[in-house]
Amino acid sequence: MSDRPRLVRRAHPFTLFAVTAGVAALAFALPAPAGPIALYAVVVAAALLTGAAASARDATLVCLPLWVLLLLLHALPGDGATVALRSVVLSRAGLAVALAQAARLGAVATASLALFRSFDPSRFLDAVAVRGWSFHAAYLLVATLQAAPRFRQRAATILEAQRARGLRYGGGPLRRARALVPLALPLILGMLGEVDERAMALETRGLDARGPRTPLAPPRDRTADRVLRWGMLLLVVAACAWRWLA
Amino acid sequence: MSPRLLALIPSAVAVNLAIGLVVNQLGLPLYLDTIGTVLTAALAGPLAGVITGVVSQTVRSLYEGFIWFPFAAVQVVIALLAALAARRAGFRSPATSAGWGLFVGLVAGAVSALISYFVFKGVTATGVTAVTILLTHLGLSQGQAVTASSVGTDLLDKMIVFLLVGVTLRALPLRVAGRFPGATRATRR
Repeated sequence: MSDRPRLVRRAHPFTLFAVTAGVAALAFALPAPAGPIALYAVVVAAALLTGAAASARDATLVCLPLWVLLLLLHALPGDGATVALRSVVLSRAGLAVALAQAARLGAVATASLALFRSFDPSRFLDAVAVRGWSFHAAYLLVATLQAAPRFRQRAATILEAQRARGLRYGGGPLRRARALVPLALPLILGMLGEVDERAMALETRGLDARGPRTPLAPPRDRTADRVLRWGMLLLVVAACAWRWLA
Repeated sequence: MSPRLLALIPSAVAVNLAIGLVVNQLGLPLYLDTIGTVLTAALAGPLAGVITGVVSQTVRSLYEGFIWFPFAAVQVVIALLAALAARRAGFRSPATSAGWGLFVGLVAGAVSALISYFVFKGVTATGVTAVTILLTHLGLSQGQAVTASSVGTDLLDKMIVFLLVGVTLRALPLRVAGRFPGATRATRR
């Protein structure tokens, strides 16, 4: 909990999802290239102000290779009107496409990584229970987030165990592809083997129980949260309308 | 949704995510991130496969910054086709698994190319984009280059995914296979 952004972690779980979805919609609805670039600047500034600077840094690391590839694919051919950056000649239109797309990716990645860093599975389940929404759908998301690290650990254990038993996976691509079966099969069969055990555990904990669920400590839905959610929706609608009218 | 399905889907999604570790260790130019989706679709039908695919892409997007979420559409297509393959006993032998894998790879590659071109302007995973850039410099248009690199990657990837799922389904102990009616139909055991 301590590594979660200070201000963001106090927000209602649905507010974080609404803001992330809104940023993604705005990234594509705002006119390019100025719109996405301005949006990215606003998202980074918001991340810094709300204590989510690490998300902006991680998003930059995720996007950096994509930004380089965008420049290579769109701007470097240097067709049509050109811009000279020292000795490099770039296509003006290609550079605009690359900058707009780079800003879109940066804005969406920063917002969603801030969401991921502040995501608290139990608060999310409680918020879903308060609204009376499908518990099964929320459970699927939360159970997956909890199962993923466990399965990654299991995959690492299988890799070590098979290597200890003498499996060699160096050499040509065909030899490496052949090593897939002894590495992947135990992971998949192990997963299927424990399905019944988990199903029984879910059944005994009243998964099929009908009626409303009562969370012990539901997250507070403050006025600021509601204003932010509705404001985001209005912004997206306004951006779409402006784009359509223009 | 039954408790068994609720237990199966998160684990299948976790397999989709964890298999990346194995692929990285082997240094293969593959993703194999649809193994859990194809397996669930074969065992429990199209709806379970679609849910696995969408949850898989949602969780992956949460880890990696939501930029890859539009590829959830590819997971949906793969789940539907995998369920069809299972219904027609497409996993009964390595040859039929490979054939269905190639077909699914072709369709998934085409859908993936559309998303890459229109949403991502041709820039997605590093390896695929490197091929796209190479092809554009060889004279192909951007659309042609994106399609060729996406379909080329997906053909091999999905063929291996279907082969692996086929091996798994045929290796399932009858005790486990009996709990999933789709398993016996998919392999005609």
